[in-house]
Amino acid sequence: MPKVDVDGDEMDVDLTKREIKEIKVLLEREPSITEWAMFDVMHSEHCSYKSSRPKLKLFEDAEANYDYVLAGPGEDAGVIDIGDGYCLAFRIESHNHPSAIEPYHGAATGIGGIIRDILCMGVRPIALMDPLRFGTLKDNPHSQWLFKYVVKGIADYGNCTGIPTIGGEVEFDKSFESNCLVNVACIGLGTIEDFKHAPSKAYNPGDYVILMGGSTGRDGIHGVTFASRTLTEMSEADRPAVQIGDPFTKKMIIEATLEAVKTGYVRGLKDLGGGGLSCALSELTGDGGTGASIDMSKIFTREPGMNSFEIMLSESQERMAFIVKPEGLEKVLEVFRKFETPHAVIGRTDDSKVLKIYDGDIAVVNLPATALTDAPTIPREEKRPDYLNVLLAQKTPNPTMELEEIIYKLIASENICSKEWVYRQYDHEVGVRSVVKCGDADSGVLRIIGTDKYIAASVGVNSKHCFLDPYEGAKGGLVETCGNVIANGAKPMAMVNCCNFGNPEQAESFWFFSQAVKGMADFCQELRIPIVGGNVSFYNEDEVTNTLIKPAPVIMIVGIIESQENIITLPFKKAGNDILLIGETKSELGGSEYHSVIYDLEGGIPPKVNDNKIKAIWDLVAELYKEKLVKANHDVNKGGFIITIAEMCFKNKLGADLDLIECFDDSLRDDEILFSESVGRFIIETDPKDYNKILEITKKHNVDVKKIGVLISNPQIMIKSIKGKDLKLDISKMKKLYDATIPNLMET
Amino acid sequence: MDRLEYIVEVVLENKKQARDPVGTTIQKDLLAKKGYEMVSNVRSGQYLRIYISAENEDQAKELVDKMCNELRIFNPVTQNLTILKVTKQN
Amino acid sequence: MSIKLAVIQFPGSNCDLDTIHVLNNVIGVEANLIWHNHFKEAEFDGCVLPGGFSFGDYLRSGIIAAHSPALDEARIMLKDGRPIIGICNGFQILTEAQFLPGALLRNDSLKFICKWVNIKVENNETAFTSKMKIGDVLAIPIAHGEGRYYTDNLKELEENNQIVFRYTTESGDITEEANPNGSMENIAGVCNLEQNCLGLMPHPERASEAIISPKGTTHGKLFFESMIEFIKRRIS
Repeated sequence: MPKVDVDGDEMDVDLTKREIKEIKVLLEREPSITEWAMFDVMHSEHCSYKSSRPKLKLFEDAEANYDYVLAGPGEDAGVIDIGDGYCLAFRIESHNHPSAIEPYHGAATGIGGIIRDILCMGVRPIALMDPLRFGTLKDNPHSQWLFKYVVKGIADYGNCTGIPTIGGEVEFDKSFESNCLVNVACIGLGTIEDFKHAPSKAYNPGDYVILMGGSTGRDGIHGVTFASRTLTEMSEADRPAVQIGDPFTKKMIIEATLEAVKTGYVRGLKDLGGGGLSCALSELTGDGGTGASIDMSKIFTREPGMNSFEIMLSESQERMAFIVKPEGLEKVLEVFRKFETPHAVIGRTDDSKVLKIYDGDIAVVNLPATALTDAPTIPREEKRPDYLNVLLAQKTPNPTMELEEIIYKLIASENICSKEWVYRQYDHEVGVRSVVKCGDADSGVLRIIGTDKYIAASVGVNSKHCFLDPYEGAKGGLVETCGNVIANGAKPMAMVNCCNFGNPEQAESFWFFSQAVKGMADFCQELRIPIVGGNVSFYNEDEVTNTLIKPAPVIMIVGIIESQENIITLPFKKAGNDILLIGETKSELGGSEYHSVIYDLEGGIPPKVNDNKIKAIWDLVAELYKEKLVKANHDVNKGGFIITIAEMCFKNKLGADLDLIECFDDSLRDDEILFSESVGRFIIETDPKDYNKILEITKKHNVDVKKIGVLISNPQIMIKSIKGKDLKLDISKMKKLYDATIPNLMET
Repeated sequence: MDRLEYIVEVVLENKKQARDPVGTTIQKDLLAKKGYEMVSNVRSGQYLRIYISAENEDQAKELVDKMCNELRIFNPVTQNLTILKVTKQN
Repeated sequence: MSIKLAVIQFPGSNCDLDTIHVLNNVIGVEANLIWHNHFKEAEFDGCVLPGGFSFGDYLRSGIIAAHSPALDEARIMLKDGRPIIGICNGFQILTEAQFLPGALLRNDSLKFICKWVNIKVENNETAFTSKMKIGDVLAIPIAHGEGRYYTDNLKELEENNQIVFRYTTESGDITEEANPNGSMENIAGVCNLEQNCLGLMPHPERASEAIISPKGTTHGKLFFESMIEFIKRRIS
């Protein structure tokens, strides 16, 4: 990495020689060391998305093309108008690398960060979700340690701030062993009025700039050597590599911010993340077309003797920048005083279009406000790995175990078993909005008090599928998360994504990213789902062992359910009712749990998505719901529909009598039928008296729907002769296995 | 050589330049508000008293240091370990 | 006669808005959210200390909030015989402020637990339990990491009828399995000698609406309805 030297102060900068030259030309002088650091941060992959932006351009312009999208990619969070004067903000982010080093504080500060992004939109954070990925737990103390402390970090922070964690996802796979993935998502609810009061741009000259929240310390400062500093003063031993979260301060910041926004005098709001105050200010003014004059001496610090570089580049957590109308300054400061959140008026905006930061009389930063936001992109090579051909050609062996034994193994496997051990540690009821409890639905369902409207949200993706075919896998992730909210009665409204991939400088690694983005872009365009935000985390690979993580473009979908009567839950309700399978089952065992759990096989042909067929299925389900014909619904995913049916039997201890003869293509084997993970399918419970009506509707939509059995009160699953012999499974045995896996691994 | 009984007192606390929300809150929201404004700072931590057999004081300290590091009794990413005192038990 | 209640909001309280919603919209009584420094007892007929993480639970759950001027005001209310209920963190604050006997310690499992439990009514003569019958089993959720009740004076509490609720099975049996946090004698809630102050770990404000209760029950309402009845009887 090139080094710059300013009067003896040295630092590494993540800039090309060309960029360095261009910067000097732009400013017509040598930048100060603080200014160099700002360019370094803003041009980093993390802030500028220089490798990913060219690909992300494929996403349709959400704000322009969908009238209910109020804020799209590029803003702190995606925001949609959900009617009745309300809006929803949501965002998903990654905190992978800090969590791999220090899982508790890494995950906790990840939650802290995502909450702040939602707050910036002027709305109250009301729910968290956490898609997580670790190495397999069995016989792996390191993975167990990461899992335990990531969950605890999320729980402690989320619980303390009073924001319920309503759902999430956990995937276990060897590829995540050294590179766990900790993604965190947050949903905020507010009125459209509130949202309009908190733009993240400083449009008006003459407004006050206020710094509020935690104090500024030397957190996050690295890669710089000060000529004037002795070694002892900057000892690494004195500073943790991962910051320590403070959820209490965060809670006060939430209340103070929301109350300040309600005064109507807040004209801009930004949380301080990468690059600290300097970058937040340059974004506020750069995007708003103004400039600002900042007096550093007003900034309250946590450590003595911090120099201007440290103060401006500090990444200390829990800090927000407010832009406030002059006539409302006292009112806003009163709010901060009430909640006792430390704050300081540090400057004012002006019409100079230049960001000036003063240390006494010296301008340590004097940059055109737009200088930092125009980072160049870097074209990356992409190449499909040859090894995929070998993997895709792998054939499913003939089962050497009885099918029953296979199913018992699957229901107990790490990726399928109950995750209750996790969500019992999360307060998922605070806020009194949680209408459907964890385990009773595919998505988290929250009410909007005072309306008959409900929010449904789901996160996830199948990384095994994405590994074999990132294009189809990304589409499959969309089908599944949308399927989750649809199953509960919602219409999918918008999507955000968190892309977790390897090193973009490696062609094969970058190919996975490029394909996944294309998959998401194509599907969302076709099915009319706006993409309102996203996050990219590259470099998730272990340099030592050269292990690439399985690609994980995690999808988050938010939907709206109009009216309580439209909420459908997962558990089967009544013996005697019909069990229907919606959607076609193909021989798509590639990347399935069946392959990995039973044969330790990674390959095979993974599921493909047919956009038109999915559209037809969704229209069908919507009409069935409109006619009130569905009593229970669960989308089919890991392990195939046999697992889906078992999960639906658990709560009310029902059983199922299945007759699969003549339901499936003759070419399919028994195991292909039961364990295929073909996407887009649902298992629904219906009343037998409605069967003919349902048949009519399915014919109209031209969707493959089969009655595969009936519910019985005897808690057993009986399957009549699928080519081989009849199967019989015991529900309480399955439930015991399903419940025991994680507690056994984590508590002994 | 005979082994003697020692008591080693250790404190685990957040690194010096790290945030200490517990200490800050005690100072700001409790002490300062209740007439103890003369307290300028509070740092929190965990105290352990380890009863150990060793050949001498230095060995007792060494062993405690070793076990705390090896077994992650303190979190080396965010905390420091300080041995406060070693006393010989009677 | 219009009854006015206060829900005291401490820095870090989380369930304050939930409690306000239930009192105002479900029970239909006037309840105001009062910032702890602004609370004046003379204006109110009763008060609620809601759940949450006051002061982050730093040092010890409830200890810093116990020193708030709000508790000095509440002490006047307590001595005057007006009803005071502490829910979860509120319970912890009341024990630290010594309105109620005992203490709340870390759950045996050392983990935070969020789930619906059953509690049995042992005393229906307090300001918050008049609408219940002794032996009633109520379905109410818990969500806490420090809910293990401990006291040095168990005998005294039993003799003075200060144990108000115990964790039980759905059919009312006091078993180890039904005890979610290791509380002494499965104690879930206690009251003071005068029976006008109640503290409990479960959250009645989360159990007052059928739509958010897993079995459609609304046992939480009984607490607040009893409180209103108590106030009405005092005033008349």
